[in-house]
Amino acid sequence: MGLAHLFLYFHLPQPFAAFALSAIAITFWYGGTKPGIVATVLASIIRYTQWAEASSAVSRALYDLVFVIFALLMMGVNRARGELEVSVAQRTADLTRANEELNLEIAERKRAEEKLRQSEAYLAEAQRLTHTGSWVWEVDGRDVLHLSDEWYRIYGFDPAEGMPAWEKRLQRIHPDDQAKWQTAIERAINEHSEYEVEFRLLLPGGVVRHLYTVGHPVEDGSGKLVRFVGSSTDVTERKQAEEALRQAQADLARISRVTTMGELTASLAHEVNQPIGAAVTDANTCLRWLNREHPDLEEARQAASRVVKDATRAAEVINRTRLLFKKGTPQSELVDMNEVVREMLALTVGDMSRRSIAVRLELAEDLPQITGDHVQLQQVLMNLMVNGIDAMKDSDGTRELAIHSQRADDHQVKVTISDTGMGLPPRHEDKIFHAFFTTKPNGTGMGLRISRSIIEAHGGRLWASDNSPRGACFHLTLPIRADSRE
Amino acid sequence: MATEAKIKLVAIVDDDELMRGALQGLLKAVGLPAQAFASAEDFLKSGLQHKTACLIADIRMPGMSGLELQAKLNSERCSIPTIFITAHGDAKMRMQALRAGATEFLTKPFDDEILLENVRAALES
Repeated sequence: MGLAHLFLYFHLPQPFAAFALSAIAITFWYGGTKPGIVATVLASIIRYTQWAEASSAVSRALYDLVFVIFALLMMGVNRARGELEVSVAQRTADLTRANEELNLEIAERKRAEEKLRQSEAYLAEAQRLTHTGSWVWEVDGRDVLHLSDEWYRIYGFDPAEGMPAWEKRLQRIHPDDQAKWQTAIERAINEHSEYEVEFRLLLPGGVVRHLYTVGHPVEDGSGKLVRFVGSSTDVTERKQAEEALRQAQADLARISRVTTMGELTASLAHEVNQPIGAAVTDANTCLRWLNREHPDLEEARQAASRVVKDATRAAEVINRTRLLFKKGTPQSELVDMNEVVREMLALTVGDMSRRSIAVRLELAEDLPQITGDHVQLQQVLMNLMVNGIDAMKDSDGTRELAIHSQRADDHQVKVTISDTGMGLPPRHEDKIFHAFFTTKPNGTGMGLRISRSIIEAHGGRLWASDNSPRGACFHLTLPIRADSRE
Repeated sequence: MATEAKIKLVAIVDDDELMRGALQGLLKAVGLPAQAFASAEDFLKSGLQHKTACLIADIRMPGMSGLELQAKLNSERCSIPTIFITAHGDAKMRMQALRAGATEFLTKPFDDEILLENVRAALES
């Protein structure tokens, strides 16, 4: 309204002014700055040619001024619009980029999810192959947070029925092992420590499974024990294989023992015959003293007491031999290695003396006892001694079997058996411990193999070295049992 | 004089203590003087081989064996009637011993009558 009054005041034709200003505005808006200026100039020229006389010089100048101001205004508007467009374009570009990034991220996440699914599948496969189930449970309330499929399979639960409660899980553990299992877990909770426990499951239907479980404690930021993460492995097959292996080893050891004894039969026959021969003679002598016209009871008594001594020795030899043939499960008992050495020496000493082999014993008096199977250790000693004796069969010069026992470092007992025989086969120092390696015409090649496996089963070591100046040494170490170390 | 000085001694050479004791006891019961040695070397060292009328020896012994002892005595022109006693005698060993002049070859456990017969025969020869 104000602008109309202004135009009327300057005697300008209002319709033209409105038209001209609109035209300028439209030209500026759609054509840009330069066409806008042209439109302004054109409007001024038209106004000048059409209404030059109808207005005063002042109003004409004002009129032009209005056009110019309007043009300037429109230029400003145009510039602002340009800036706005640029910023909108920029914003749009930003948005597009953000959108692209988002798309990329979504694709990435999809890939990661796929990867995760795949790795979960691999993990499940690995769990199935290794019979290992994983689990997580909370210390408070013993609630389960995670149980893997393999865990369900091992424990014989149906995943569709949901996670079984603590009590239900406990019921699956073999009654004889429940206390052991609970003790291990209680201790781990009290000490915030790792735990591992071997126990059996007794599933409905009577199936027994052997399990090996490892648990790891997880604390929150304040050091409070919140849960345990771990795995349970079904080791039933391994246990059965181990049992079968142990049985096979025991059988093999016994066969080897019998073979070793077979090699010693001649010696043993002599060992038994000797006291029996003496007993027969002594008994006859006794009868002679009694059968006299005046029986000499004192002499008869002496002869009779010699019979007792003879028979006792024959019985001792037989007892020792019988022990070596005995079939039995490995025992864990306290064993004095010096005693084992002496026992086996008693069985071979006759053989050695006939082969003119001297025996040198250096047994430590304060030798601690070890824990092991007496008969098996006898067998090892016997094997090593018979080997030493055989090695000296064709040797000229000194024939000496030396047996040395001592308390070694690291809580161990060490026994060394040295001979002056042919020595170890060059470059085959360790091959002699391989199965079926033998240098004897009738050897089984199992003696040293079995000896080493027996010693290793006792937690010890058996190895060979050269003896100086000739022959071989066999060394064995056995750990002293924990509570007799000091 | 010289023959009277020669005591008719029976020597026992055996590395087994029980066997030595048994043989000594048996000879004592029949009233024969006997001396026991734990090895052939001990017997040779004792110098009693020249006064020994009968030798009872084990074949297998540490050091010098019974057969080696017999050969050694033969080579020293000191042949003594010898009775061998062994825990496990084989035919070959027996032949070897008898060819070298052994009077008897007994396997443990042996018949004491046969042993004593042989000892007496050796002492009377």
